[in-house]
Amino acid sequence: MTPIEQLIFLLKAVPVTLSISLLSFLLGLGLGIIFSFIRIYGTVFLKYIADGYEKVFRSVPVLAVMFLLYFGLGGYLPIFKDPYFTSVISLGLVSGANQSQIFRSAIGSVGRSQMLAATSLGLTQFKSLRYVILPQALILAVPGLGSEIALLIKDSSYSFIIGVIELMKHTDILRAATRSLVFPYIASALIYVALTFPLATYLDKWGSMKKRELGL
Amino acid sequence: MLFLLNYSDFLINGFITTVQVTLIGVGLGMILGILAALGDIYGGKIIKIIVNIYVEFFRGSPLIAQLFLIYFTLPALTGIRLDVITAGYLTLALNSGAYQKGYLKGAMEAVFKDQFLAALSLGLPLRKILMYVVVPQALRIVIPAWSNELASMAKSTTALIVIGVREFLNTGVSIVAQTFKPLETYLFITIVYFIWIYSMLKILDIVYDRVKIPGLEPVI
Repeated sequence: MTPIEQLIFLLKAVPVTLSISLLSFLLGLGLGIIFSFIRIYGTVFLKYIADGYEKVFRSVPVLAVMFLLYFGLGGYLPIFKDPYFTSVISLGLVSGANQSQIFRSAIGSVGRSQMLAATSLGLTQFKSLRYVILPQALILAVPGLGSEIALLIKDSSYSFIIGVIELMKHTDILRAATRSLVFPYIASALIYVALTFPLATYLDKWGSMKKRELGL
Repeated sequence: MLFLLNYSDFLINGFITTVQVTLIGVGLGMILGILAALGDIYGGKIIKIIVNIYVEFFRGSPLIAQLFLIYFTLPALTGIRLDVITAGYLTLALNSGAYQKGYLKGAMEAVFKDQFLAALSLGLPLRKILMYVVVPQALRIVIPAWSNELASMAKSTTALIVIGVREFLNTGVSIVAQTFKPLETYLFITIVYFIWIYSMLKILDIVYDRVKIPGLEPVI
């Protein structure tokens, strides 16, 4: 295999890595928005649950969650026998806890006064959230969400351990096929850098630019 | 879960390894982070470029890939063979140093520009300014970011499974292989991780409350 062919073989696995990251990001986004709203506007009981969820999933390793779901629950619930599905769920659950915190601080910076202003104009609580708070909070959350996607792209490599055929697995296959310990590992590490680097830097810049525009 | 009692020595050893790797990784990473931050702020052009390449590489690639690089590629290129645990320490230190550089640089730069100039005008040499003015305060300010780093490093140590370090999660794998009770075993292990990491975060919260510098709340 020429180095170009090897590189193409590695790049073929990039869509899988990206799809795991993106799906778990979306799952985390949904969970994050719901739980951050609960923690700010919910009833006492719901707040308790949201708080517990955040604390638990911010303090456990994602690989332990994967093992628990894949090996532990997989025997009882066949749906967790699928490593791809299990990876997405585990990464999503952990990411949801992170994103809930990102949104909470973003909503916090929009401020309670805007909520009061919106309700005093006769908007219902839901409408003030939908049209006033959320559009601004989403923009404020962009840099945090950018580094969250970058984190998920990197953490998706854990799914290689439970058997998903993604970039890290292709690296392993390539190592076995070429018997080289140098090229596959360096190339795949650089591919990961190329995937995550633009996200973190570009979204960070965009976020601070928008923030200045909005005067927040 | 009572069957786990038969394996208590085994589990305790694994847990101690995990704690050790975390603390040594973060400790060495802090030294690297301080050096990298100082290099990036006060160093010349070449030092800055080297620091930035180091940081972007180790922040941009997954820990598993870095472990493979240090454990397999480094010996293949240079002939230096590391045993698994040393490779683990080294990788976590390099990884953590890249993250800590960011926090430390933020703390040093944003808050201490004036103090740096003040110290300079008092005639303190650079070494003394860093040792007595900048670093001690930066360390206190950076605690919240640093406790996040400690937690994320504690979680990342599970990646060491790929090169075969006998850390806590890996002891679970061996126990499951003998007992065929994955649900109980991994549930127990996940709960222990939770208790450990959560209490670590709480303790650092309390420490930060004690030593924080009034008026200099974190910029991160």
